Amino acid sequence: MIDVLIGAIVWSNLLVLLALGLTMTYITTGVPNFAQASFAIVGSYIALTLLRLIGLNPYLSIPVTFILGGILGISTYYIALKPLIKRKASIEMLMIATLAWDLILFGIIGAYSEVLSAITKKTETLFVFTSLDFNIYGIPGRLVVSSLLVLLTILGLYLLLYKTKFGIALRASMENPSLAEAMGINVENTRLFSWFLSGALACMAGSVLPYLQEIIPQTGYFIVVSIFAASIVGGLYHIVGALVGGYIIGVSESLFTYILSILLGPGVLVYSKVISLLMMIVTILLHPRGITGTEMWRRVERWLNL
Amino acid sequence: MEKLNSGYGKLQILFDIDLEVPKGEITTIVGPNGSGKSTFLKSLFGLTDIYSGRVTYEGRDITYTPPHEKTKMGISYLPQTNNVFTNLTVRENLRIAGYILNGDELEERINFALEVFPELRGILDRKAGSLSGGQRQMLAMATALVRKTRILMLDEPTAQLSPKLAQVIFDKIVELRDNYDITPILVEQNAKRALEISDVGYMFVSGRVAYGGSAKSLLNHEKFQSYFLGVVGIEEC
Repeated sequence: MIDVLIGAIVWSNLLVLLALGLTMTYITTGVPNFAQASFAIVGSYIALTLLRLIGLNPYLSIPVTFILGGILGISTYYIALKPLIKRKASIEMLMIATLAWDLILFGIIGAYSEVLSAITKKTETLFVFTSLDFNIYGIPGRLVVSSLLVLLTILGLYLLLYKTKFGIALRASMENPSLAEAMGINVENTRLFSWFLSGALACMAGSVLPYLQEIIPQTGYFIVVSIFAASIVGGLYHIVGALVGGYIIGVSESLFTYILSILLGPGVLVYSKVISLLMMIVTILLHPRGITGTEMWRRVERWLNL
Repeated sequence: MEKLNSGYGKLQILFDIDLEVPKGEITTIVGPNGSGKSTFLKSLFGLTDIYSGRVTYEGRDITYTPPHEKTKMGISYLPQTNNVFTNLTVRENLRIAGYILNGDELEERINFALEVFPELRGILDRKAGSLSGGQRQMLAMATALVRKTRILMLDEPTAQLSPKLAQVIFDKIVELRDNYDITPILVEQNAKRALEISDVGYMFVSGRVAYGGSAKSLLNHEKFQSYFLGVVGIEEC
């Protein structure tokens, strides 16, 4: 049971990082990025490459995956979206563009895994980092590192968004881009920053993901549902929504599946994503703005003076 | 503004607009609903599609200058609604209004804006979303002062305000012209009251300038009276 709990928290931490990026780019650009999960798998392969080629521990490769992930995020915006936004493409067109970009990334990841296999003479189309993990008094490294990453990200985002001029500009651009532009803010720069951060956080989460589960080039397709569910259940219009939704989905997915596997047998484990999918559908039907869009949440915010 | 044709995508709203805004005077645009008054301000600021024509400011062509560049030139636009950031505090709204200024200059401008709008001093840490309509409008105008505005475009600044609060806003607009060398351009439904404080008036009908001249002459013009005061029967311009 402890292992299940640890797995649930680690998975939730990673979902928070992944959903934060999805929510930020949705707020600033207005498009749900279907390639978000593939960003994470790119991060996993960057970590694997650094491990195989220079022997760098995947935890130590996090700064590198963060920066390369940021570059991937900006590239996504520049290559897949900006040309369409300039032509005033509809939201549906932009969604399809991110889906197409996801397929391109999937192809690149697949081809790259084969190339890496040829270089290292190992099978790199399926890998895990679990044997590389460390322990502190019985607490697994993946729990410590993923929790630290979430804490640092939240602290960093808080300082950025509330204590710096650029952060206030970013919040202003998220709320009302045309007014922000009227204030002299270059809204394009704030969009670029959100795409950088989205790619960076996703790749960072991706470099920890192989400590939790096996990675194959198709892993993105399995986790994308959970990322969207986390953002939507928490509220796609509020950054804090990613935090709330990430923990609700991560914990529910892991614990419900565990309980159901005890009751119905291990066969249900492969259907764990159905729980996220159901929670997402119920949210869309009953309260499309998610938990952070409820009146109760607004009262909490007023009470906390946020 | 010379022969300006503009709109949104394929939907043209303004047709051959020829118009001049004198420096240091209040210019008011009036007209029935759907006459293109708000689109006019948006076109001036660069928020619409411009098909042809020219907008010049102090001899410089600014037809296609992006909004954030116009802000740096001292041109401000306050939309009718959503003219403050409701999720930011009053203080943050003032700070973000001076985004292009450096630290010391920003503080100086915020203090200046608070001198003109002392009503905001006691509510600096309140979220703008919790302010009353009048307070929000004052905050919106204060943000324009922070960013060294020389031309202030206001879209229906007194909409949904009580007559008493509307009067306060009109008085502030006059104060901005008289004491702070700002050139206000107003679009107003409260046409009579707006023209009474204005120097120049234009009347738009169906996306065209139907009349332009001194505000006083427009107030007494037959077409204005037919549209807004019901003195004579409504006629086609």
